[in-house]
Amino acid sequence: MDPASPVPRPASPDGARRARFEREMLPHLDALYRVALRLTRRPADADDLVQETMLKAYRGFDGFTPGTNAKGWLLTILRHAFINEYRRRSRRPETMDLDTAEALAAFPEEGLADPRERFFDRIVDEALLRAVDELPEAFREAVVLSDIEGLNYQETARVLAVPVGTVKSRLFRGRRLLKARLYRYAVEMGYVKKGVT
Amino acid sequence: MNCQEALHHLYEFLDREMTPDDERRVREHLTACPPCGEQFDVEEAFLRFVEARCRAQGAPPELRRRILHDLFDA
Repeated sequence: MDPASPVPRPASPDGARRARFEREMLPHLDALYRVALRLTRRPADADDLVQETMLKAYRGFDGFTPGTNAKGWLLTILRHAFINEYRRRSRRPETMDLDTAEALAAFPEEGLADPRERFFDRIVDEALLRAVDELPEAFREAVVLSDIEGLNYQETARVLAVPVGTVKSRLFRGRRLLKARLYRYAVEMGYVKKGVT
Repeated sequence: MNCQEALHHLYEFLDREMTPDDERRVREHLTACPPCGEQFDVEEAFLRFVEARCRAQGAPPELRRRILHDLFDA
């Protein structure tokens, strides 16, 4: 390459760092916001959590290994911030313990005499998001990372700092619970008849 | 592979977390067993539904603006 040619280059190391951060991290802002919203369940808190996550990420950007999973790296920071700061501050108790939640989760298969009826196609977004938000936190975060953000088992396990087997079990239970809640909603709305055979 | 084994791998299969060989064994069972095939289809539709509907949302433009400002201009 001709050394005299005007290669566009950042004016300073700060500029280079900033450009790299924008390129590698900003594309994940939507994902961070969605996860933050499902964790905090309040838009104002989600805003704060995402902002804090991005500040921490920018400050710690040198600790990120280029070419590795940027989304997972950011989500790990976000989850730490949520646990260490937001959740401790809010001290909001879990809405329901896991065993109680599971006892309510039995999915009435008999209601789906014709499984092609796919009752969930009629469920509005708001009802779905509410059902996700009502999941116990341990299940909710697994479902959100895997089923909404598309992380695989290994990536989800890394963000949650649990073994892959735990991820699988939480996904199984969280999905079952979510289906049961949506089914209940569909019955209430008259989309499906209870116990149709 | 029988129905019970297939169902045991339901989510690993749908989540594409199986080895190619195991995945093929499940697929063969689903072809041979319409009820299992139907159940896997319904589960898959459910997962696609959750993903599609919950991903519609993104970060508000105002938040994006605020973050860029805080990071780079503050």
